[in-house]
Amino acid sequence: MSRLDVRPVSAEEHRAFIRSRRHASFLQTPAWGEVKSDWRRESLGWYDATGTLVGVALVLYRQLPKVKRYLAYLPEGPVVDWDAEDLADWLTPMTAHLKAQGAFAVRIGPPVVTRRWDAAAVKAGVADEGVHRLGEVPPTRREPVGARVLGRLRELGWQQQVAEGGFAAGQPQYNFQVPLRTPEGEQRTEDDVLKAMNQQWRRNIKKAAKEGVVTRRVPSAELDTALRQFHVLYVHTAERDHFTPRPLGYFTTMFAALGAEDPDRIALFTAEHEGDLVASTILIQVGGHVWYSYGASSTEKRDVRGSNAVQWEMMRHALEQGADVYDLRGITDTLDSDDSHVGLIQFKVGTGGEAVEHVGEWDLPLNRALYKAFSLYMARRG
Amino acid sequence: MLTLHVDEARWRRHLEQVRDADPSVVPVAKGNGYGLGLVRLAETAQSLGLDTLAVGTYAEVPVVERHFDGSVLVLSPWRPFETRATYDPRLIHTVGRVSDVEDLTSDPSRGRPRVALELLTSMRRHGFTPAELRAAAPLVDRLQVEGFALHLPMDHGSHLGEVERLLNDIVASGIEARTVWISHLAADDMTRLRSSYGDFDVRPRTGTGLWLGDRGALRVTSSVLDVHPVERGDVYGYRGRSAPRAGHILVVSGGTAHGIGLEAPTGGASLRDRAARVAKGGLDAAGFVRSPFTVTGKQRLFAEPPHMQASMLFLPHGAAVPAIGDQVDVQVRFTATAFDQTLLG
Repeated sequence: MSRLDVRPVSAEEHRAFIRSRRHASFLQTPAWGEVKSDWRRESLGWYDATGTLVGVALVLYRQLPKVKRYLAYLPEGPVVDWDAEDLADWLTPMTAHLKAQGAFAVRIGPPVVTRRWDAAAVKAGVADEGVHRLGEVPPTRREPVGARVLGRLRELGWQQQVAEGGFAAGQPQYNFQVPLRTPEGEQRTEDDVLKAMNQQWRRNIKKAAKEGVVTRRVPSAELDTALRQFHVLYVHTAERDHFTPRPLGYFTTMFAALGAEDPDRIALFTAEHEGDLVASTILIQVGGHVWYSYGASSTEKRDVRGSNAVQWEMMRHALEQGADVYDLRGITDTLDSDDSHVGLIQFKVGTGGEAVEHVGEWDLPLNRALYKAFSLYMARRG
Repeated sequence: MLTLHVDEARWRRHLEQVRDADPSVVPVAKGNGYGLGLVRLAETAQSLGLDTLAVGTYAEVPVVERHFDGSVLVLSPWRPFETRATYDPRLIHTVGRVSDVEDLTSDPSRGRPRVALELLTSMRRHGFTPAELRAAAPLVDRLQVEGFALHLPMDHGSHLGEVERLLNDIVASGIEARTVWISHLAADDMTRLRSSYGDFDVRPRTGTGLWLGDRGALRVTSSVLDVHPVERGDVYGYRGRSAPRAGHILVVSGGTAHGIGLEAPTGGASLRDRAARVAKGGLDAAGFVRSPFTVTGKQRLFAEPPHMQASMLFLPHGAAVPAIGDQVDVQVRFTATAFDQTLLG
């Protein structure tokens, strides 16, 4: 491959390139940079010898305390040809550019799958007393492209960021996904997707309908009110499940920024029972990829199964959109039946999809001393 | 006579233990057959019910093939200039270069040879680098790829990290075979590997640890051929040396033709090893070299460098003198020794 040039592109060029692709993470859209407003951001483009734009990235610059040096972070990116014969052709001009911008290190998260475990394999792993982590179960499939990216990044001096349990660092390395197409590329039917779910999921979806749970995508005219109601329920969920909630402003910014790119980019879904909001979720779509991004559910009326109902509504929406994959986002790699995270996996496994492992996040230090100081700082922050 | 005594029941017990611990083990029968002979090793592998036997070179194939029914894996890499290679369906060739894949497949009369693709390890002896393996991937369709061969260095702690990188390179190549023959991997590492790579068939390849794994089952003796009393100053030997003091010259069987007194550079490189070598050099300079022969409980000195089939030892005055026909113990490197006879009992 001849030399690729890397230089800043406009947000419009960036968006147009993403639109031309079937798959790119929403974390690589210009809109996501607006959501992360406390970071300096830059849209980058790769140009080939003919001057054609062949890759893009959203770079978030995170400043080191007191020094004008930055960690250049490309969450779930860059959007380049990861199947390239030599990744150095793509990565070297990028790091040169980022270094000139004051980066002391670069962190990337190649959106490339290395291993897949189908629901049966994950289930067997949870049932097996001797198995503690997903990696101890033989995968249903190993992906050559992912293996190649791993090997090449290592050769090029990148360092894998090991997230203990899979959640500690930046973006999760393990996700749970429901394929919406057959291996031959044909769209699956609603029936087919339902049939792949476990009995409990099917029973819960049926029960919600019987109990009169109403699910829907919130129309834009009602969004403001519905988002406020979502947030109340979400704060309640955070208290119950012991996580720190984000402020309402975070979500309104997210809807405004992502929604401006494409009316179908971000959507709010609700499940109501006799006028009570029992579950509410946020869906994001880029190309053929649909994510379940945030969710909230009531503690009362759990037995009407609003959570299952709203997930099913989002899956049906994804099928209608002709999507390739419905992504339930992160899971940890624990399969210990007494680990609190295993419940989350079991909920997701019930959809009949597959656990996928990504290449993970990788750092390239450009200034060893500053990188070391940064690593120590991050370690102390825990 | 330089004799190898094998406590057959004990030896057999050890072999069965190794096999029972891991029935997928691939025994290696190469060179002098670890002192036991290729034929005996092939027969033994057959009787242990193992499915594959590894040999060192193509020259060794016809020797073992008559005594072993399973697959025969040749460890030396196939090369276009190898004239002894045959292509019967029982043979698995080792290939480690892109051009060798091209050459091997260039002659249709060979059919679709079975191959093990060797990967270059930190040993840097033979094998594909990751990029070469990817380059070979589209060509290996013309071969029957049985799996991959990894030859790891000895010791130096755990090799798990290296093996995982190599297995990742296998996945990256897109080649579907999932059998991996691997040497010198600690038992712990093997267990962990088999867990995280449960979709791979990891097969240990072993020679020394199998055949010579229980040294107590093996004993080597040499016959005392002659004994001559000497006084200080008496002349003896090919080189007309004179005795430093009174004692006996002992002539025992076992010389350079058996491998006695021929040594390869030892593996040990610690300060202690080196100090020992310097001390030995001092002895050498004074005309004495420690021999591998043990007489009345002590390792004795060579009276002069070993002859082709016998060695002369110096026994100082006061030591008990063995009789002609007595057996004395010898320490040998099994892989470099030719015995006059092997006695099983």
